[in-house]
Amino acid sequence: MGRFVARRILYMFAVILVVSAITFGLMHAVPGGPFEREKPLPPEIIANLEKRYHLDEPLLMQYGRYLYEIFIPRIDSNRPGLSLENDFLINIRLGESTWFHWMNFGPSYSSRSRTVNDIFRDNLPVSFQLGIMALTVAILLGVPLGIIAALKQNTIFDYFGMSVAIFGVSVPVIVLGPLLIWIFGVTLRWLPPTGWGSKPPYVMGVFPSTMGWDYWKHAIMPAVALGLGSSAIIARLTRASLLQVVREDYIRTARAKGLKERLVLTRHALKNSLIPVVTVLGPMFAALVTGTFVTEITFGIPGMGRYFVTSITNRDYPVIMGTILLYAVFLVVANLIVDLLYAFLDPRIRYE
Amino acid sequence: MRSKFFMITAALIVFSMILGACAPAPAPTTGPQEPIVQTVIVEGTPIVITATPPPAEPPAAGPKVLNYPTGGPGDIPTLDPSLASDTTSVQVLEETFVGLTRLDETTLELKPGMATWESEINDEGQEVITFHIRDDIPWVKYDAVSDSVVQVQDCEGNVRMVTAHDFAYTFLRTLDPATGSPYAYVLHGIVGAEEYNTADGAPEDVAVEVLDDYTLRITFKQPAAFNPFIAGLWTGFATPKWVIEGDDCNDPRGDRWTETGFNQSYGPFVMKEWIHDAYLDMVKNPFWPGTEAVPVPKIDMVHYVMLDAPPAFAEYEAGNMDVSNIPLADMDRVMADPTLSQEVNIGPDYCTYYLGFNTKAPVVDDVRVRRALSMAVDRQALIDNVLKGGQEPAQWFSRPGLIASPTMETHPDLGIKYDPEQAKALLQEYLDETGQTADQLQITYMFNTSAAHQRIAETIQQMWADTLGITVNLVNQEWQVYLDTVKSEDTPQVWRLGWCMDYPDAHNFITDNFRAGGSANPARGGVPYGGVNWVNEEAEELMRQAMIESDPAKRVDLYAQAEQILVYEDAVIIPVYWYTSVTVTKPYVTRTFGVGGQEHWEKWDLNK
Repeated sequence: MGRFVARRILYMFAVILVVSAITFGLMHAVPGGPFEREKPLPPEIIANLEKRYHLDEPLLMQYGRYLYEIFIPRIDSNRPGLSLENDFLINIRLGESTWFHWMNFGPSYSSRSRTVNDIFRDNLPVSFQLGIMALTVAILLGVPLGIIAALKQNTIFDYFGMSVAIFGVSVPVIVLGPLLIWIFGVTLRWLPPTGWGSKPPYVMGVFPSTMGWDYWKHAIMPAVALGLGSSAIIARLTRASLLQVVREDYIRTARAKGLKERLVLTRHALKNSLIPVVTVLGPMFAALVTGTFVTEITFGIPGMGRYFVTSITNRDYPVIMGTILLYAVFLVVANLIVDLLYAFLDPRIRYE
Repeated sequence: MRSKFFMITAALIVFSMILGACAPAPAPTTGPQEPIVQTVIVEGTPIVITATPPPAEPPAAGPKVLNYPTGGPGDIPTLDPSLASDTTSVQVLEETFVGLTRLDETTLELKPGMATWESEINDEGQEVITFHIRDDIPWVKYDAVSDSVVQVQDCEGNVRMVTAHDFAYTFLRTLDPATGSPYAYVLHGIVGAEEYNTADGAPEDVAVEVLDDYTLRITFKQPAAFNPFIAGLWTGFATPKWVIEGDDCNDPRGDRWTETGFNQSYGPFVMKEWIHDAYLDMVKNPFWPGTEAVPVPKIDMVHYVMLDAPPAFAEYEAGNMDVSNIPLADMDRVMADPTLSQEVNIGPDYCTYYLGFNTKAPVVDDVRVRRALSMAVDRQALIDNVLKGGQEPAQWFSRPGLIASPTMETHPDLGIKYDPEQAKALLQEYLDETGQTADQLQITYMFNTSAAHQRIAETIQQMWADTLGITVNLVNQEWQVYLDTVKSEDTPQVWRLGWCMDYPDAHNFITDNFRAGGSANPARGGVPYGGVNWVNEEAEELMRQAMIESDPAKRVDLYAQAEQILVYEDAVIIPVYWYTSVTVTKPYVTRTFGVGGQEHWEKWDLNK
């Protein structure tokens, strides 16, 4: 088990290396550059800017510099936070004026007073909070709907549950969001139409410092809008999987040996039917917690989502690299957790 | 007896009103809509005056907070005067700093900002402007511990005043090649500036001289009416060197100096808190003395929220925003709504939407085709059916209202108008001469990928098909790729762009764009390279004369002649429409309407 995890973490570094190489190549291959504007800058100024960000160096050297900055830790006497060029994600104080630094994702070109690490520090926690809530909504709504639909197959419960699921899949946030805002924000005025209830600094880098109604009232609509689509996927998967499992031989055996129906369902059927659900939860988790563009724009939430899109339109190279790598890390870690959960759900699976 | 009674009553009422105005937060005892009955004694005869209370009357309950959306998604790019180049950044900068000169945002008149100035021409024909800077403006910052704005002190504990040194520092920092300022080129008119910014020039040779603590002298290469504007642009706002580079009692913050906690400024408002991607709060600067152009703010705080137009408008309807733009999708509903339509204001916005021709490309290398295409665009129909924002049909490029730009009142027939008959005739002439038919013409119209540009392109495509029988081929590209394409040797035959003002002078429109080497007429080694691909010596000479001419009327006339060549005689571009800004404002807001993309909140008031 320990070796398995260790191997997977090593494998994660390989994935990051490959993803970073592909992203780096692609973003430099597309036409346009970070300093091209509708009102064009004089070539001399562009040259100044490119020199400042080392964009005048050969691509391979730039890539090497990038990998060095994000992977190689260093120990020096620089206090963190003073310079944009040397802003590290992890800073640990070792002595009076000795610091351990690791992971410098570089400055942002389009937001000149910030670094990619600033975006991770200020915006990622918001997306993370929203993503966790949306995922909770998705599971709490999707799993029960799917179970009821499967157990009461072809009844009114089944049809109702699946109608909700189809609604959730087919009405995207871009429609549902403004609709919710219109009903609960503008007409009834129960909830604030936009905004987010917490701001930096965050507790342990992620959690909001206050969790009262002022915090939750901002979160309800976006979490529901975002979670509904995912809950539909979960509901359909749960239903299909459970329908298949209850027809398995071991369920018949369990019933034949006189086990109570409730125990048959909870101990044998449900646990096994959750494997496909848990499988999709991995990527779903990674996608939700790293930010969602449309939801964040619609509800005016200061999350990470828009950086995935705007960094590409702006050719903001360090932000493109940072967001993609962040997503890759979340995806790999989420999949690792999913793999570990398999072992719990299905005793036949063992990792050596 | 009777008059004495009235006298006392009147005195009591007046006294209570004074008290009411002074007390910070008493709950209003009467409804604000109730008429006030005021009794005034005029030579012993009591006269009763009944009036509804003026909106300013109810006592302010707590601080006056203006809730204002940015109207676009995403963070404010920067709060560094040397780096800013977009309207949201400049909006905050104009309120937290004041330039040497300051533009009246409603009339585009140039007023003294931090300085008064006089101008003279030296022996070399250069314009020397001497600025006399106010000596009563301290540097301030927001102090989170005391929750108030405090004056900045130097290492000896003296209050730091804004001096000529601070302004000179910014000019040189903006021009410093290491800063990489995207907007430094607007300062290239200063002697020595372009050389320092783009070549081997030295900072000492830049003609920005500090004569004493409160006197600054700037020498421009050529006399021009807009030189004082350039000196007052945000690229020349004073900046705190001691925060950026550090000194004995400050850590150097570099580009981070604009962040919450480090930021220092001196304008009518002070930045309190900047939560990236969420909002930026500015509070009133109690140390701003108030000047003719920049009065003491009446509102206590501006809550500047980063919201895209649709959510901002939802917040407006929910009563949480005081001002908003109207999303296109809501335009028809707003105009039909009896309450909302009363809150709408349509004002000019100093931008022009146009289509450019690559005048070297096949088919459109003939001026008759270009003019025919331009005349076949029914601009008013496009505005009424597609744009719906009360835009104005454009007859030429430089938006009317700019200094030295022709206006529709003075030049109703200048430029080009919708004229389908003449368009058909011109095209027919071309077709007869080349022996082609209209459907044989191959024309590509390119725009950057966007639903709004797509709608405009499809409408114009239809107009050309209906009037001229030409079916153009529509192509779109992603924004950055598109910018590359329209300024390359592969520039398509027809392309679209817009232009918004940097400073309010026709020079910033026609000359900055269409002179050889201009923004939309790029050149490489003196040869046109992409854009409109255009050379016209006569237009070039007119634009040059207009720049150095000092008589305003003659300048308008020169620009009018140049515009006529640009849009009619050579028909290099199709001016499509002049922008308007459509906003809604809650009735309790007393406001001015900025026409250049910026609002001056220090002139606003809230009467909630």
